[in-house]
Amino acid sequence: MRNAVAEPIPQCPSAAVEVRGLAKIYRLGRVDVPALRDVSFRIEPGRFTAVTGVSGSGKSTLLNLVGGLDTASAGSITVMGKDLAQMSRDGLARYRRIGVGMIFQSFNLLSSRTALENVEFPLLFAGVPKAERRERAAALLDQVGLAGRSRHRPIELSGGEQQRVAIARALVNRPPLVLADEPTGNLDSRTAREIVGLLAELNRSRELTILMVTHETALAREFAHAVIRLHDGRVEAEEKLR
Amino acid sequence: MRFRDHLELSLSNLWKVKLRTLLTTAGVVVGIGALVSMMSFGTGMQKNVTETFKSLDLFNSITVFPAGSGPGGADPDRPDPRQPRRIPAGTAKAVLDDRALDAIARIPGVETVYPDVSFPALVRFNGREEFRLVQVLPAKIAGSRMIKLRAGKPYLSDDADEIIVNEYLLRRLDVKDPASVTGKKLEIASVSFDLGRLNPMNLSSLFQGGKLPVSEETYEFVIVGVGESTGFGPGSIWNELMIPPGAAGKIKKLPFTSIWDIFRLQEGAIGYAALNVRVSSPGEVDAVKSRIKEMGFSTFALADQFTQVRQAFFFLDMILAAVGMIAIFVAALGIVNTMVMSILERTREIGIMKAVGASDGDVRSVFVFESSIIGFAGGLLGYGLGWIVSRVINRVVNYFLARQGVPAIDYFAFPWWLFAGAMVFAVAVSLAAGIYPAHRAALVDPVKALRHD
Repeated sequence: MRNAVAEPIPQCPSAAVEVRGLAKIYRLGRVDVPALRDVSFRIEPGRFTAVTGVSGSGKSTLLNLVGGLDTASAGSITVMGKDLAQMSRDGLARYRRIGVGMIFQSFNLLSSRTALENVEFPLLFAGVPKAERRERAAALLDQVGLAGRSRHRPIELSGGEQQRVAIARALVNRPPLVLADEPTGNLDSRTAREIVGLLAELNRSRELTILMVTHETALAREFAHAVIRLHDGRVEAEEKLR
Repeated sequence: MRFRDHLELSLSNLWKVKLRTLLTTAGVVVGIGALVSMMSFGTGMQKNVTETFKSLDLFNSITVFPAGSGPGGADPDRPDPRQPRRIPAGTAKAVLDDRALDAIARIPGVETVYPDVSFPALVRFNGREEFRLVQVLPAKIAGSRMIKLRAGKPYLSDDADEIIVNEYLLRRLDVKDPASVTGKKLEIASVSFDLGRLNPMNLSSLFQGGKLPVSEETYEFVIVGVGESTGFGPGSIWNELMIPPGAAGKIKKLPFTSIWDIFRLQEGAIGYAALNVRVSSPGEVDAVKSRIKEMGFSTFALADQFTQVRQAFFFLDMILAAVGMIAIFVAALGIVNTMVMSILERTREIGIMKAVGASDGDVRSVFVFESSIIGFAGGLLGYGLGWIVSRVINRVVNYFLARQGVPAIDYFAFPWWLFAGAMVFAVAVSLAAGIYPAHRAALVDPVKALRHD
């Protein structure tokens, strides 16, 4: 049994995320398909960075690598001073549990569970007692504007509401870094703007470091501090907006 | 994860697929039910035999035979009965006569000694006839706890013309109420050689199916007691008619009851064919046995043979358990199938679990917990099913045996270890069945799982 309180939350050094010479090659049969090639960038703590690019440019692969869901073929990823390549499988699980929160295009909520249960789900693996889980999940649902929808299942919620639940879930373990993979991909433009606005607001109020993959350049330029443009698995341009 | 969270998560996952969980659990229920009823039958039989032997003081008994003989002509204490016994030249064979009986009776620890004497006779009672062996039993033994009486009392004198009849025989003689026969008269017809009937001019008729030179004489006995059937097989392990030695002495009878006796007579053996010795406690058996052997006799003690009986029961238990195991094995395959199916259906859920921080161990333990819950529920319900099935079988068997005059007994036993064993086994098998699927679930690639539909 793990004790959530006893687990040290990673300290913030100068860079929240530092990627150096990152490469990812997928093997399809006998053919090697490079998804990322020599990608390097640095994100300071508390910054909202957007990664843009066309489909197949390697955006999601990059996010999966930074999120500790996948392992790099070459190069290094350092998050809050910790090199992900040096982490064991359990170490990576712990990193995903308390070091990072993830938001997906298809929300990835558990359909049989209520909004509240979905939000508290990560706390199960952190060994947080039930009462505290409920309290923290309810507070976050309130914060994302879904206080009255906590007992609803995902199917009873709109796309925007489902993504808000997913955002609340990503924040429930109080991670310093949030990764969002096309969070507006399944939403209409108005809701998409609301969701990115919510992320920007959380970035400001909680000093969260956010790395968001999106193909909506306009939204990225409106809310993000910096935009990294990927093309063919390489960093094509890196632009500081604010 | 906390234990309680594991339990709640696993239960809610199983509840989501109620029908499948129910069917998989039913497999375990049937498996454990079969195993429990079979094991309880083996245990019940062993318990019945052991208790019957104990209640009849058979662990306190030694049978003494003349040297070099025994049941079937073999000496049970000989290391290898196939090898011929070497009797040292000039050694006189000890005779199992009254002198030997007195000498054995004086051995410390010996409570009673009496000759094992029985003879065939025709029993007439209630207008019916039955052919039976009559056991000659001293009043002292008839009055001991070795003989359990359903009604009446034992005979008190060795010379009384009184008889104890087993209730099983009375049923065969069409007696509805065994207690009603005490005080009534019963006839015993015995045959003995009558050379006066032998036709010396036509001896060949003896060997061609002609009449044997025997005469029949009838003796009257008063029924004083009705012996209880031991409940183990038809009738008791004792003969169904018991008379005291003095009364038996007055009966003209054949000097043999078996081929073995005829061979003994041919060898010119004198004395009793066997003596029954009762010692004060089972612990005395070995010491008394060695003293009797020193006197030149062979011995047979059931206490020694009971180890073999236990071994036989162990094998019986193992065979019954093996049959039950097949059912458990099938149930285990059902669990593996259910869990593998569950993993395929819940691949995306596993991906989400991993994305939010579940370790391989967390994922593995969620699935192991689920299979353990199936095993626990299956074990509990299976034990109940085994109990119900055995109760039904017991009732049916006892109903049919009661019609044949066999008293009702419990053929099944449910000791505490059977319950504990069934539960541990059910959970262990389910756990083992869940390990492979759980391991597969733990190794699911989260990136692929999150893309899974």
